[in-house]
Amino acid sequence: MSLANASTAKPRYMHAAEDLRANSEQWSVYESGGNCVVLAGPGSGKTKTLTIKMARMLAEDVRPPRGIACITYNNQCARELRKRLSQLGAYEGRRAFIGTLHSFCLQSIVMPYAPLAGLSAANPVKVASTTEIKELQEKALKKLTDDERWGPRFDNYRRTHLNRTHPSWKHGDEQAAKVIETYEALLAEEGLIDFDSMVLTGLQLVREHAWVRKALKARFPILVIDEYQDLGRALHEIVTHLCFPEGMQLLAVGDPDQSIYGFTGAEPSLLRELAQRPDVAKIELKLNYRCGSEIIHASEAALGEERDFESASDEPGEISFHERPDGLDDQAKFICTELIPKALARRKGRKIGDIAVLYLDKNDGDAMAAAAATARFQFIRVDGNNPYQPSPVTYWLEDCAAWCVGGWRTGAVSLSDLVRRWLAFNSSPQSDHQRRNMRVALVRFLRDNRVPEAPLRDWLGKMLDGFLQTCLDRETGLRDDAEKVAKLLNAVSVDGALQRYTVAIFGGQKGSPDQLNLSTLHSAKGLEYDIVILPGLEEGRIPYYNDDDRAIREKRRLFYVGLTRARHEVHLLYSGWYENQYGRRFKDGPSRFVEDVQRRLGGGASGPSDKNLPGSPAHLKRDGAVQQVKITHK
Amino acid sequence: MRISRVQISNFRNFANLDVALGDHAVIVGENKVGKSNFLYALRLILDPSLPDTARKLREEDFWDGLARPLTSGDRVVISVDIADFESDDNQLAILAEHLIQAEPMVARLTYTWQPVAGLTTNPNKESDYEFIIYGGDRPENRINYEVRGRLPLELLPALRDCEAEMARWTRSPLRPILEKAAGMVDRDTLQTLAKGVDAATENLANIDEIKGVAGSITKKLTEMVGSAQALETALRFSPSDPDKLLRALRLFIDGGKRGLSEASLGSANILYFALKALEYDRLVADGDRDHTFLAIEEPEAHIHPSLQRLIFRNYLRPRLPVDNGTQGKSSTTLMTTHSPHIASVTPLRQIVILRTNTENKATEAASTAALDLTADEIADLERYIDVNRGELFLARGAILVEGDAERYIVPVLAKKQGYDLDELGISVCSISGTNFVPYAKLIGPTGLRIPFAVLTDLDPGAARNDGAVAPQRGLDRVAAILRAVGIEPPDGNDSDRLREAAEQNGIFLNNHTLEIGLFRPGLHGAFIQVMSEIGESEPMKQRMRDWGLNPASLDSARFLADIESVGKGRFAQRLATIVSHGECGSACPYYIRKGVEHVVGECQHR
Repeated sequence: MSLANASTAKPRYMHAAEDLRANSEQWSVYESGGNCVVLAGPGSGKTKTLTIKMARMLAEDVRPPRGIACITYNNQCARELRKRLSQLGAYEGRRAFIGTLHSFCLQSIVMPYAPLAGLSAANPVKVASTTEIKELQEKALKKLTDDERWGPRFDNYRRTHLNRTHPSWKHGDEQAAKVIETYEALLAEEGLIDFDSMVLTGLQLVREHAWVRKALKARFPILVIDEYQDLGRALHEIVTHLCFPEGMQLLAVGDPDQSIYGFTGAEPSLLRELAQRPDVAKIELKLNYRCGSEIIHASEAALGEERDFESASDEPGEISFHERPDGLDDQAKFICTELIPKALARRKGRKIGDIAVLYLDKNDGDAMAAAAATARFQFIRVDGNNPYQPSPVTYWLEDCAAWCVGGWRTGAVSLSDLVRRWLAFNSSPQSDHQRRNMRVALVRFLRDNRVPEAPLRDWLGKMLDGFLQTCLDRETGLRDDAEKVAKLLNAVSVDGALQRYTVAIFGGQKGSPDQLNLSTLHSAKGLEYDIVILPGLEEGRIPYYNDDDRAIREKRRLFYVGLTRARHEVHLLYSGWYENQYGRRFKDGPSRFVEDVQRRLGGGASGPSDKNLPGSPAHLKRDGAVQQVKITHK
Repeated sequence: MRISRVQISNFRNFANLDVALGDHAVIVGENKVGKSNFLYALRLILDPSLPDTARKLREEDFWDGLARPLTSGDRVVISVDIADFESDDNQLAILAEHLIQAEPMVARLTYTWQPVAGLTTNPNKESDYEFIIYGGDRPENRINYEVRGRLPLELLPALRDCEAEMARWTRSPLRPILEKAAGMVDRDTLQTLAKGVDAATENLANIDEIKGVAGSITKKLTEMVGSAQALETALRFSPSDPDKLLRALRLFIDGGKRGLSEASLGSANILYFALKALEYDRLVADGDRDHTFLAIEEPEAHIHPSLQRLIFRNYLRPRLPVDNGTQGKSSTTLMTTHSPHIASVTPLRQIVILRTNTENKATEAASTAALDLTADEIADLERYIDVNRGELFLARGAILVEGDAERYIVPVLAKKQGYDLDELGISVCSISGTNFVPYAKLIGPTGLRIPFAVLTDLDPGAARNDGAVAPQRGLDRVAAILRAVGIEPPDGNDSDRLREAAEQNGIFLNNHTLEIGLFRPGLHGAFIQVMSEIGESEPMKQRMRDWGLNPASLDSARFLADIESVGKGRFAQRLATIVSHGECGSACPYYIRKGVEHVVGECQHR
């Protein structure tokens, strides 16, 4: 296409939209006006539909200087959306805010408006690091009680009792309220802000000041929210204040069935409630492009509810059950020595990166990592025992490494994006001259350090000494990132857990076809793999032995999320028993969720089971040797 | 949307300027006071056509009063506050992140030229400095081209040639308007019209006489340059290409009778402004920008004073309560002028006066935007200023008097005291009555801050004998004027304390009417002479002579009635001439002397 044609041709998003036309539900999202809630089942093309619709709204519905605010679950989702929008030719810098709830509250509400509303806001904002938060939480607890530890009780209370002036704040859980207030006072004393206070302050400003709502609506006449089900009550209240009395147009996308962050105050009912409003159109995306029909069938059983999802896939997919009576380590070994090699052999061209092992917690992760190391698999691990935790800076470091490893040649990583993010980290006032020097320092470093096989510690050390450490020390917004980078440096040191890490390994982790994916179920949100392996499915662990009804429902959804990550195969593993942290064994059999699936696939009654009821399929032997059950529906 | 406040520190003429602005601003000041620099300061923030290289200042751009060499603490800071935008979603969207006040919303944009961060020595070269532009008093909240592009300031420099600009298609403000209209014209219609015009032109060109003209031009050209190079000339009045047809349209005035070249410069100017205003309306309506700040430099060039008054009388004035002036809502005008004629017809609230502070030589500003005046007071003041051709605005000091008689006499008496008021730039202003309050508000310390004195009578008007009447009215008036300039008058009936406070604030009382006040301290001779020249009857002249010989015998009522009968103004006019010739001594009433000294002192003090 010539240059002249390119400028007069239809915008790219219009071509992309043609793909939605065949799916009437997706098309009706594209054509929607006014408030709209999209209930999007797994694999339903949610992100694609959302980005094309956003591109359309930016081009057709919102004229400059006004724009769209899009709130995502985390920074990774935000980057993905930004990338897709720019591929659609639509991402326009300042006009579209795309980011997390925290950054939206901080940048677009707290920083511009808190001082005007008489709330003291430290300038520049000092974000508390994980260590500082822990210290202050302990300090707050010590002031009031000796036999309590900071846990979900407090976080949850803080995130769900949002109106401090309401009597329920003081009287709901009197001690929790006192502890939280003490903690917040300590934060303020130090001039620090934590992630929750960004959101709580944002909500307070939106709730109390009509002019704040008015200013936000002027800038962003449209509010888009992705993964609504996991964003919690504070977001729900912000949305309620901005969209319904104030008239910001809402496009909320999510799946109540995939709501798995109850401990952060998220509830599936909030999105359902929103979808029921008379002034909101509800659209359900029911066609699943990811999972085979068999997997969908099984997942509905796991969920315990019929959703009428249809599969768009040609393959029905497979669910396999594996009883490994010798416990978790045995399951891990079985996965690495049997399941994975066979799965790789089963289909030509399949890579180990197409496989994910999704588990409950970091202890499972330790077992899996040990087995994978023994089997000499390269793997990428995402859980709480990761040698380092992700943060915007560590993500950026990974991308820098990816550029050095070969991204500079393939264009897979854009240098301008790396530079832009680097300059954004340096948000404190800098002279143009200093910013030019920072840019030069980064580009020069990257150019001179394209050394895939060099130990990561050398590469990283050089960057820290060169310019990164100065930035981390200076930027008060990066104090938690600084801690995480220090942890990473520690992990890659000569006696650290990642001592063997090279630049190539570090930069090639994400989506690498050569690395096995190890992750908690929670972190697998939004991802998809050809083959999903779920170990450790014991009754007492999932659901947890003392879960209440509400928690059990959430665990069911967690299991459901795990199943629906798979395109072709799901492998469910259990031993029928587990050990707690003190080594005590509990023999409660496999998880009731597993049995529900077995019953459904075995042609038994549908719906969730009572574990003690008879009716387990006959081919399931708890005490047998390796028993592989394969059921394939027509 | 309007600029509600401007602050400029250490830039060119300005050390620390801080001024409130109304809906529009007419910036008045003498030459060299810094009117263009004031606009340039705004351009640094708001003009998208100004390149960033121009945003880099030089050492000489720092205020002269700053000690050289400059230190790391010296910086140029310029900020504009913008108000009245919250009802427009687009404007609010642009400014929402730059607020400094929530209710009602006020946004601030700031330009700073400062030493680069981390500079350890004193700056001594250009690269030691940088400029930053930010919003909402948050230096990390940088603003970029977007704000300037959506809310641009456009400068129309002085001495532009409007007629030539309108004639040149690429620069003409008519172009975008016509092109937009052209885009909506049906192609077929256009084609048909073009053919019609073509045919008509053809017919015209085919008249033998006209053909002959074209032929003779071509012949001459051929003779001059040879047939190979000759241009083929044709006489037409419009190109036949339908696309060019509309461009060939020209604006005519007087119902199509005259072309623009025949318009007076003034009409061309105002036409130019009108087209610009239309263009700004269209740009906002099309969503290409959200507001325009139109900066006009000295539009009076080449325009006759009476025409200036005619043209600008309505330019910034709201015609209807719902309408924001002839400018429309999509633009704000900032106009500099040193023409008192333009200032004299400007709506009162829009006056900004720039003048030099005599102490530090910096330019400071005062404006009328925030004055506490009633609608009636504004109407009175505007009429006064109109009639007096805006002299108040350009005065360095003012002596406010009740009537024409004082206006003739005071300058003469001042000169006798050694003060040439003209030379000092001090105007004597007759307010034709005793309603000093609005004038005091306008030029007093809470208004334009022009040094002034009020000379007023105790008003024994109804009295037969001086001193016999309670001087209540004059004292009440003094108290009211004091309040108008922000001073709470002393309590109670202590008239001495009140007079003391009044004098400290430039208000001086005459215990009598003017003429008696003049007669008593020793101008009898002049009075006798005036009366002998213009007195209407011999008894009248004789009375004056008698009183002159024996001042104690003065019959005030008779005396005033006699002067009244020849006209107070005429009498004072003559009296002034005689006194100025120095024929009759130079005695000066106490209150006039004090008033003159007060203003002269204040002027020198500034």
